[in-house]
Amino acid sequence: MKCVICSREAVKNGYCELHALAYRNIVKKYELWKKATGVSWKEYLSQIAKNPFTGEWAKEVAEHLAENGEEHIGT
Amino acid sequence: MKHNDDDPHIYQLLALHVLSVLDNRPRCTETFNFDIRLIFENLSFHRLTVCARMERYTLIITEKPDAAMRIACALDLNGKAKKAEDNGVPYYLAVRDKPIVVVPAIGHLYTVAEDKIGRNYYPVFNFRWVPRYMAERNAKQTRVWLETISKLARGADTYIDACDYDIEGSIIGYCILKYACGGKENVAKRMKYSTLTKEELEKAYENLLPHLDFALIEAGRTRHEVDWLYGVNLTRALTLAAKDWSGKYATISTGRVQGPTLKFLVARERAIRSFVPTPYWEVKAKVEINGEIFEAEYEREVIESRREVEEILNSCKGGNGVVENVEVKRFRQLPPTPFDVGTLQSEAYSLFGYTPRRTLDIAQRLYLDALISYPRTSSQKLPPAINYVGILKSLSLVPEYRGLAAELLAKKELKPNEGKKEDPAHPAIYPTGNLPERILEEPEKRIWDLVVRRFMAVFGEPAIRQSVKVRINVNGHRFVLRGRQTLREGWLHFYEPYVRAEEVLLPQIVEGQKLRILQVFSEDKFTKPPPRYNPGSLLRKMEETGIGTKATRADIIQTLYDRKYVRDERMVATELGFEVLDLLEKYCPSIVSIELTRSLEERMDKIQSCMEKRENVLLDAIEILKPVIEELKSKEKVIGEQLSRAIKKARVEERIVGPCPKCGTGRLMILYSRKTRKRFIGCTNYFKKRCNTAFPLPQKGVVRPLGKNCRKCGWPTVQVRFRGRRPWNLCFNPECPSKGGG
Repeated sequence: MKCVICSREAVKNGYCELHALAYRNIVKKYELWKKATGVSWKEYLSQIAKNPFTGEWAKEVAEHLAENGEEHIGT
Repeated sequence: MKHNDDDPHIYQLLALHVLSVLDNRPRCTETFNFDIRLIFENLSFHRLTVCARMERYTLIITEKPDAAMRIACALDLNGKAKKAEDNGVPYYLAVRDKPIVVVPAIGHLYTVAEDKIGRNYYPVFNFRWVPRYMAERNAKQTRVWLETISKLARGADTYIDACDYDIEGSIIGYCILKYACGGKENVAKRMKYSTLTKEELEKAYENLLPHLDFALIEAGRTRHEVDWLYGVNLTRALTLAAKDWSGKYATISTGRVQGPTLKFLVARERAIRSFVPTPYWEVKAKVEINGEIFEAEYEREVIESRREVEEILNSCKGGNGVVENVEVKRFRQLPPTPFDVGTLQSEAYSLFGYTPRRTLDIAQRLYLDALISYPRTSSQKLPPAINYVGILKSLSLVPEYRGLAAELLAKKELKPNEGKKEDPAHPAIYPTGNLPERILEEPEKRIWDLVVRRFMAVFGEPAIRQSVKVRINVNGHRFVLRGRQTLREGWLHFYEPYVRAEEVLLPQIVEGQKLRILQVFSEDKFTKPPPRYNPGSLLRKMEETGIGTKATRADIIQTLYDRKYVRDERMVATELGFEVLDLLEKYCPSIVSIELTRSLEERMDKIQSCMEKRENVLLDAIEILKPVIEELKSKEKVIGEQLSRAIKKARVEERIVGPCPKCGTGRLMILYSRKTRKRFIGCTNYFKKRCNTAFPLPQKGVVRPLGKNCRKCGWPTVQVRFRGRRPWNLCFNPECPSKGGG
């Protein structure tokens, strides 16, 4: 199976190894964002997708999650 | 006395040169211990035959032509060595206690190659040392070079290896003596010097080491052989896998040090590309002191919650500040340590943006001009034997250094602030005191000036600096105001303009003083990804982890660029770099293991101190390689497919110029028209029918994306290269202000 974002082989949650790493970071950092700004998961995804410091893969995953309306695990 | 008729031409030249020396110095006939009788049968130069009965000459071998010229001139009694040429190969004739012929190499003339001919097979474990022209396509000139050296060697009775005194130099000299001079490696003497100044060269000639440093040579040979085994086998495995799958040839190289170095870059790139920033805030207060406005920072530098920031701002509103305490600390800032090659490369990168390779090339040129000492050193020591006073006196002839040198010369004692690192072969890099004999190019001037000022700075007194920390209480919240000041310049004065010492002067402030707070405000911040490596920081990382050597690190970084595994000055790992490392990690993790590379490195160092045997290291290296190669061979198809895709992607990536400034979402790319076959720049969104931005390009020369934006309009730029001309950086924005019309 191919990664939902690029043409690499998918390893977890439909993502390749590289996008899976970005996905893990996105999920992990949400707790910090929530504590800092009280932002919702959807708003969080939109903000990190626009942020100039967000890495390329993390942006791609955030956009993909936002487009597909995926919920945050645990929300 | 022997009559020698091996090469009459050299004897003619030598005899003429001896005569000219005798003419100029009639009294020194006695100093020659040879009998010279010249019979000129015909005065026409071409038909001149000279019968010289003389003692055979001393043959000195150097690493580079410039060094040969310097050595010959330094040793010649008149200081004017005669240049001769054989098939375009220069050599120099000098006369001292006996005739001397100095012949240069051009770096390595021999290399490791496989026993069998051909490039399309692996594994390869049998190798031998061969002349470079036999192994490398672009090394044809080494053939005539070796022929000349062999010819000159036949007329010599004493052999001196005067190549650079380090691993590479020792191998160069050893191979020439062993193979080109017919097994003279065991009778040859070694000339050891760290600068190409006349005094040091004369001293080195008078105090020749009785034999070559065989332990150093063994260590060097092993390093070359191990690196060759790794490089040739792994590179062939990857290259052939890709070629067999796609039918197209592209060199996919890796090696013992190259793999782990690429690993650093890819690891950093992964961290950057998967980075998710988190918000934080900084709170600051504008404080008025004696009519001046200063910015004080909140005691906690980082505040992680917006609610907390708001609470602080509300609570500080309208409040005044009271100085709780003033903490003054004085500290000594020791002078820098002398330059070893790594610190010179790092400093030149941070000051001038020169890559490590460029700095080393410039330093090498300055060394060959006898302006600085041998640059490939890991020493941070400056022994008194280099004659500090003599160097400073010579430097004081340069108006810019006169005052500084005089200050140092007035000191009772000159003691450098040495670092810990040592090098048994050479001291740290220092200026020789010789002044340029030609107009230096700007980069050469900068590096020389940097070396000179650093040399003077290491003898300076420690600088005395003062830091002031003022704690201000605003309604129960503490803010900190920081100041920094130099009280005594000490060595900083000698290292201008390369000093980076920030000065923040604060007015007189006392405890209990009331201060007017003009504003308390917050700044929204985000955590940043780790910085990308640049060639300087990557070199430091390689040094810290102990991979590669001082002589090879800069070349390895360059190879990563040449192979297109990385691009740009802030090093970005490319798709190809990712794929190559991914494959190596998947199928042969030991090859990219930093621990394994370092341990091999340590064992090779032990050969140098006779604590390890070359054979053992080689056998172990082969034992590590064998299963790796087998694994790569068994997965050849999968690897070939993955690499071929990556190469294809990399070729597309190479043509990407930058983001499209018109649509903002597409990327500009160098494309070719199907109809006209002409090249142009177009947006990738054209294929999605979203953007038809296109710009013309010159149709001649090689065009490549520059990776930099235009300074005037901010658009991406390309570089156009024509053979034999300087590259031309082109902004293709027709409305760019740089075009004059806009």
